[in-house]
Amino acid sequence: MYPRWLWRSLALPGIAWLIILFVVPFYAVLGVALGTVDPILFQPVPIWNPLEWNVGWIQEALTRLAPGGIWFDVGVRTIVYVLLSLALCLLIGYPVAYYTARHAGRWKGLILILIILPLWISYMMRMLAWVNLLQADGYVNRFLVFTHVLNQPRDWLGGSASTVILALVYGYIPYLILPLFASLDRIDRSHLEAARDLGASPWSAFRTVTLPLSKTGILGGAVLITLPMFGDYYTPNIVSGSPKTSLVGNQIDLYFHGGPQPTLGAALTIILAVFLTFLMLYYLWSIHRAQRDVGAVGAL
Amino acid sequence: MTHHPKERPGYLNRRDFLARAAGATFAVSGASGLLAACSSSTTVAQETSTTGELLGPGGLPLARPDKRVTLPLWEDPIESGLEPETGGTFTVFNYPDYFYKKLLKDFGEQYGVDVQYTAFDNISSGIKRLASGAVQPDVMEMTPDNLDQAVAGKLIKPLNLDYIPNLQKNVWPELVDPFYDGGSHYTVPYTCYATGIAWRTDHVTEDIAGMQQPWDIFWNAEAYKGKTSLLSEPRETIAMALLRKGHTDINTEDPALINQAVADLKELYDICNIKVGDVQYQAVPEGTSWLNQAWSGDMIAGYIYYLPKGTPATALAYWKADKGKVPIQNDCFSICSTTKKPVLSHLFLNYLLDNGVAYSNFVNFNGYQPPLDEIDPASLVRDGVVPENLENSVLTKDDFGPDSLQEMTLTAQGQQLWEDGYSDFLAGGGS
Amino acid sequence: MTTVAESRPSEGFSTWSRLRGWLRNPWGKPRFLVLITWAYILWSIVPVLIAVQFSFNATRSRTVWDSFSWRWYWGDPVDSVWHDPTLRHALVQSFKLAGADVLIAVPIGVLLALGLARWRGRGSGVSNFIMLFPLVTPEIVMGVSLLLVFSELFTFIHTGTVAQILGHVTFSISFVVVIVRGRLFSIGRQYEEAAADLGASPFVALTRVLLPLLTPAIVASAAVVFAISADDFVISQWLSEGGPTDTVPIRIYSATRAAPLPSVNAIATIMMVSTLLIVTIGFLTWRAFTRGERRAGKAAEDIGGAFNLT
Repeated sequence: MYPRWLWRSLALPGIAWLIILFVVPFYAVLGVALGTVDPILFQPVPIWNPLEWNVGWIQEALTRLAPGGIWFDVGVRTIVYVLLSLALCLLIGYPVAYYTARHAGRWKGLILILIILPLWISYMMRMLAWVNLLQADGYVNRFLVFTHVLNQPRDWLGGSASTVILALVYGYIPYLILPLFASLDRIDRSHLEAARDLGASPWSAFRTVTLPLSKTGILGGAVLITLPMFGDYYTPNIVSGSPKTSLVGNQIDLYFHGGPQPTLGAALTIILAVFLTFLMLYYLWSIHRAQRDVGAVGAL
Repeated sequence: MTHHPKERPGYLNRRDFLARAAGATFAVSGASGLLAACSSSTTVAQETSTTGELLGPGGLPLARPDKRVTLPLWEDPIESGLEPETGGTFTVFNYPDYFYKKLLKDFGEQYGVDVQYTAFDNISSGIKRLASGAVQPDVMEMTPDNLDQAVAGKLIKPLNLDYIPNLQKNVWPELVDPFYDGGSHYTVPYTCYATGIAWRTDHVTEDIAGMQQPWDIFWNAEAYKGKTSLLSEPRETIAMALLRKGHTDINTEDPALINQAVADLKELYDICNIKVGDVQYQAVPEGTSWLNQAWSGDMIAGYIYYLPKGTPATALAYWKADKGKVPIQNDCFSICSTTKKPVLSHLFLNYLLDNGVAYSNFVNFNGYQPPLDEIDPASLVRDGVVPENLENSVLTKDDFGPDSLQEMTLTAQGQQLWEDGYSDFLAGGGS
Repeated sequence: MTTVAESRPSEGFSTWSRLRGWLRNPWGKPRFLVLITWAYILWSIVPVLIAVQFSFNATRSRTVWDSFSWRWYWGDPVDSVWHDPTLRHALVQSFKLAGADVLIAVPIGVLLALGLARWRGRGSGVSNFIMLFPLVTPEIVMGVSLLLVFSELFTFIHTGTVAQILGHVTFSISFVVVIVRGRLFSIGRQYEEAAADLGASPFVALTRVLLPLLTPAIVASAAVVFAISADDFVISQWLSEGGPTDTVPIRIYSATRAAPLPSVNAIATIMMVSTLLIVTIGFLTWRAFTRGERRAGKAAEDIGGAFNLT
């Protein structure tokens, strides 16, 4: 009943905006990363013509990220922190989402609100809250000493990896729980009942029915938090400040700090974006496959 | 570029990338054609003079404390004896919160102008904004290591010192005719500071000042794990490691020295879990950090503004090396080419060098000392501005001179070396 | 079911057998799941409540409670939010950006949602992909790219408020699309087809049938956009020109790295309360509009639909 051109035209302003202010800026980063530097003001001189691109800076950045390069440890560390944080987020978040979706009963609405609540509280405020608590004389130390878990106050903010990982978990976990909840909520009870009727134990029913059906939610949530986490540079700065916990984002930050090599910062940004694009494509491919499988079940 | 203490965290140097000059304002001799256009280059091109001497940005020779540079006059200064312009606005372009607003108002009332204060986050972005025409101030803050750019780009005007008698009268001789601006053609000094060590006497038990090489304290700071910090500046950190080993050329471009310095710094990860940051002026008085590389004004500001009630002033301590081993730096003020009130601008420069004005600015507001004869450590202690135990964080004229150390501009290659060295240190990896 | 009952020991309910009973019954209420959930909720929210509490502290400590005071809100003549211009300007700037973001991003996003949801043809897949990408792009990548595009390409736009608004809208559009599209899926085409059957033209069906049905999603997305704009740190920082264009998260960040006064807690609290108010209004509006549908259990479907990204 609607003219065919209608939907396309409605989408046009949005797509145009995104192309101009999202896609084109990526090309600007490319142009800078593959450009040169003005020796007077240390301004980047972008090269727009692909035929004239200067690959030196990207080569330099890749060399530094390779084993033996000065950024290798940072790269590895970033991946490790992200994976550990993701694992912890799943470990904590999956049971919470599962409970809310399937067992909360009359509490469901309230719990849902409480789970969504942190999303509306600024990330910075949540970090601020934790920095306050982790001070030498803050509540965490006071509680742990009081309960004799610790003999004396521990220095949480002195530059430790565990504090950074816990901060990442605290900051990003709400963004994982919500998609997980959404996908678990949509699972039809009848599938589980069928499995139980066929003799499956609760655990194997969970393993063979619930878990696979929630795969899209797990993947979606995982992508939603890991991709942004790879670019995080402010969390280590807030709760640590030590070079031993610095991430790739901190290096990008440094090179845009007024020095003579902003092109290196742009090059590293490009490499990061390409790396994440591969992850993103893998996610989309898995979704596609998972939906094919789900489609088979849904036909029941 | 060397970084300024006012470049606090949160004020980041993004604005460096603000609109480049249209090109016309940079009539720099010999600069064009030197842009590296090879397809696989990572060197930022640089200039060499006919004598093979390395030059800095704009083709101007690199100034050092023992190598005076007199900057060429790109136009004649204004005539003497003119009347100051009045009416309209007068714009001061500076770091945020770096000039006491009350003094600005007084100046405005005296000459019948409305004084505006526009802030930049750091000097390089300020220069770029000026070059692009985004701002048109009358006077602006300048630093010696950015002077070359500003002069090469004709962004600041030559001075007629007849309008600025306070320069000769009040300022330390070493800075009246400084090495970076022979004859004071373009600048007058504003504030000065040094880099040293700040610590909490109630937590750190060593007698740092009495040590043979006080910088060694960081390499022996196991007891203060997680409570030690260096400045998050490429130049300051590596310079500190160089000075510790006795190398006094903090403008070196020798890769071997820089690499060794970075390797030394990396030892600090395991020794004291070293951090980097710019917040020592608050963290040390508050007690969240105990042992810090710090600028001299930090402890004064810390004492005046950030010391919590109940913490005695004697808890703070500062050490800086003797002349020739301590990095010092000073800020300047210049007149912008965009000014429409050149005479008044000269008078403003004279105003800020007035003893009363400079003292009020220092004590009541910005915490960084002006290099004036009348303001010396003893009088500051006497007036209660600085507690006795922090007397040595006040600089004297003897700290300046040809054998002082000053972080100055490097060649482009040199800048790259230092930046990459710091990147290596910041990455937190093995060496 | 019978197998479970038979395997239960016939003697009385010892703790162990109760535990086994709980673990074995998938329709019971596993206690450890309850525990984890409530523990998580506490862990998630209590620190923030404590931060709010200390914003009312009479002393400058953020760790040792003294007594209740409004000092950091307006009492202290130098450092309170009301008197400290840097804090005040940050608050104003945050609201400015969030308001502009809502006004620009929501209309664009609603149109885009309609277009993407119904568009079947060449380009729809690519457009969908382009729409999704900002959701998963790390903010530093977006910050760098926006900064460089404004300084190298679109040089007529300087860093500052305009650039910040443009950046905020760019990452907000995708959120609007995802939320409105979720609602579109759960509405389906039934109402418009009914309207067409009753003789309505496409234009009328769109504006007087579909859009009103979308109102709860539109309002909800406006609330979401406000919240994420107020929360944004990286893009605001990279496109800021310092001073008055710094937002509240930027101030909190700089202060937290140093040694913040409770005035930082105060400004964070103000921002949080404002955002929560707006989100609550959005939520209540959404509930009011979907009253009938809630009985049919569609509320969760809307949320679920929102995550049906492809």
